[in-house]
Amino acid sequence: MTEKACRGAALGNEIRSGTVSKVGSTKRIQELNGMLHANRPNIDITRARAFTKVYKETEGEPALMRRYKAAAEVYRTLSDNVYDYEQLVGWPTKRIRGANFAIELHAHWLADDLPNLRTREYDPFEITDEDYEELMNVHIPYWKDKTCAAQFEKYVSPELAARSQTGGVEDINNYSCSNGSHFIPRWTDLLENGFEKYYNTAKECLEKLDQNDPKAVDKRIFYNGIMEVALAIKGWAERMSAACAKKAEAEKDPKRKAELEKMADMMKQVPWKPARSFYEAVETAWCACFFLFVEGAGPSITWGRFDQYMYPYYKKDIDEGKITPEEAMELLEELYIKVTSNVWFQSTIMAYIFGGYYRYPHLDVGGLDENGKDATNDLSYLCLRAMRYAKTTSPAVSIMLHQKTPDSLLYEACELAAEGMGHPSMFNCESLYEMLAHRAAGLEGYSNYSRKQILKYGSPIGCVEPGAEGLQYGHTDSGIVNVANCLFCAVTNGVKANGVDGGFCGELVTYESGAPETLDTFDKFYAAVKGQMEFAIKECHSALVVCEKLLAEQFNLPTFTMLLDGAIEKGIDATAGGALVNVGPTMNMVGFGTMVDSVSAIKKVVYDDKEATLAEVRDAIMANFEGYEDLQAKLKAAPKYGNDDDYVDTMAADLWEHFATVSAGLKLYRAGQYCDAAIQMVQSNVGMGAMTGATPNGRLAGTPISDTMSATQQADTHGPTAAARSYGKLDFPAYTNGTLLNMWISRSELVE
Amino acid sequence: MNIRETGLNCPEATYQPPVYKEAGMKNFTNLVRTMLNDYGVYHVQFNTINKETLVDAKAHPENYPTLMVRVAGYSVYFTDIGERVQDDIISRTEHTF
Repeated sequence: MTEKACRGAALGNEIRSGTVSKVGSTKRIQELNGMLHANRPNIDITRARAFTKVYKETEGEPALMRRYKAAAEVYRTLSDNVYDYEQLVGWPTKRIRGANFAIELHAHWLADDLPNLRTREYDPFEITDEDYEELMNVHIPYWKDKTCAAQFEKYVSPELAARSQTGGVEDINNYSCSNGSHFIPRWTDLLENGFEKYYNTAKECLEKLDQNDPKAVDKRIFYNGIMEVALAIKGWAERMSAACAKKAEAEKDPKRKAELEKMADMMKQVPWKPARSFYEAVETAWCACFFLFVEGAGPSITWGRFDQYMYPYYKKDIDEGKITPEEAMELLEELYIKVTSNVWFQSTIMAYIFGGYYRYPHLDVGGLDENGKDATNDLSYLCLRAMRYAKTTSPAVSIMLHQKTPDSLLYEACELAAEGMGHPSMFNCESLYEMLAHRAAGLEGYSNYSRKQILKYGSPIGCVEPGAEGLQYGHTDSGIVNVANCLFCAVTNGVKANGVDGGFCGELVTYESGAPETLDTFDKFYAAVKGQMEFAIKECHSALVVCEKLLAEQFNLPTFTMLLDGAIEKGIDATAGGALVNVGPTMNMVGFGTMVDSVSAIKKVVYDDKEATLAEVRDAIMANFEGYEDLQAKLKAAPKYGNDDDYVDTMAADLWEHFATVSAGLKLYRAGQYCDAAIQMVQSNVGMGAMTGATPNGRLAGTPISDTMSATQQADTHGPTAAARSYGKLDFPAYTNGTLLNMWISRSELVE
Repeated sequence: MNIRETGLNCPEATYQPPVYKEAGMKNFTNLVRTMLNDYGVYHVQFNTINKETLVDAKAHPENYPTLMVRVAGYSVYFTDIGERVQDDIISRTEHTF
């Protein structure tokens, strides 16, 4: 490892800070992109200050009231910076690429780890000495025992607390530390009406409240809180308008002066009132997105079907000659740059799994309309094309592909893919719609979505999770289950490997599913594998529901609630079940390919060919194959997932279904909800691999396990079509929280 | 009339489209159509950088300040991620048609 290679993000930030990153379709975009990369990720303590201040002033008041007051105080204290070149107004932070982070969810780990924040390997952050001292002396001491993760430990045994956070079989850190996430606001409604509508709705509901209805006790607090937060948003827009006007006054260049005056005028209108133009609609999309990224601690505030709800504004402006496609694309590029600026702040242990500062904003194009017709329009193409010019990591631009999608839009998407940036994601609408029909509804049930709602509003959230605009709330990256480690435990009778990361090394980390000597038939072994998976899923679930309760009771989200259709009328916060479809903690599988290939290797070598016993395989993986190289070679030669070979693909499909079935049978804390299965936990295969011993597919201890639902690295040797046929044997709609597949096509196949 | 038919007029732009290989792009779009629309796979995303490029970028990051890769569900600057994640991405299977 060279010194340069191990410097990680600090080096990346350094080498991009010059003119190299000044890319874009116009000079303005090039300058804004340059500005983005001239700043390193940094900590903003404005939100922490607002929370500490309000919570200290409101000791003993109702939890929801304190939370909403603190949220309003955040809007009152947001930065009012306006920079050169920009047309979109407002920033979530005082500095570009800042993180205005949630102290109330992070203080417990910061108490130990703040000193390493500037220099840690994954996702280092800059912080001023002054802010560092204030955090250390004021905010962390106040909050460190009050975070969700800190309170969680009071509800469970020390063993469960440890196993669910450091065991390496299951993990709940992303749920307890990232409340306020994974959401598609009701964009169509917000653009048409502005936040004023939500203020008015709360006011009317409060006035109509039957004071003798016992529910009025809590609802009075709720409505007053929503109104206070809405007015704070209005106040923010007024401050931004004044800041633009002030900058306009000082501006000498008449062209820029006119732009700033237009921005000042725009902020008198949106986001409080309806958007009157494409420009104002994009501004509303930008500021409401970052509001949610400041209020929530998590990732994946999603624009959803952007090309659909934006199109009426675009079409009108084009028809009236008020905007050109090039000018519209320039606004999109600025939107992409600004949302990329919005970095994710994570604990050190989470950065180990999710590092890269990425916060999973997401924008979709294509798909069907509410009548089931192809919905492609001019903006669909423009949104994809803008990414070729802006070259930003965010948002995840996606195409929703259907049989009816025109080839030209698919070509546009594939040309973007050939750029090599990893954009876009490609989704199959039919599977998405089926997943939504059963979202959070258990094994047999149907979700509350109507077919028209699914067609009109359904889209992926974050990376891949199915959702619907304004109709669904719930953190969708909640529990991780490392099935490669479950497989390991099926061979070792529940014991974790020695010498890997995390706790419980060489100790019982799950349960005793049977000593290998007793598993004398493949069926017995296979039952042990399924048993270990079920144990891990259920234990993870039992920890997650504790957090679900804590979040619903104390970590409420007023702006999310306003942007949920019908939540104000119901008088229920987003975290407490205000959505039409409430998604609780979900169960996310990692290491699927590694597990499947290992089961296949054991079936072939131990039970079919009888070339070794299961006890010998246990000894081999416990020894990390040292002294067992011959056995390792035999195991490696077994059939592997990703090659269209039914010997292994049949078991893959069965184990896939098992994970989904066990998950979907589990009830959640809030009534009527069930757990959703997913297989999408991004790069957790690396961190989880580091906690996993050698596996019977021949993989060495501590190395990455297979990623997402993809075939194991280098195991899919029969080309992309054979791999695709293996994947096609799996039941996708059973994974109501989504599936993620990585593939790699050589660039030299696509471009000269 | 979408932009594929009308084109865009961006005289200041830094981006120039590459020359596409017709057969490869056809195979690529067919793979996506078949996998998603016929086989029912819910989602797929692609890395399309040549493997040698990533290996060289790991050794000489200063020459690749803006090189991006897809990790899973998100794109990231290759130089920003830790060595073990870089290695994991490099170790994935690079397919040809």
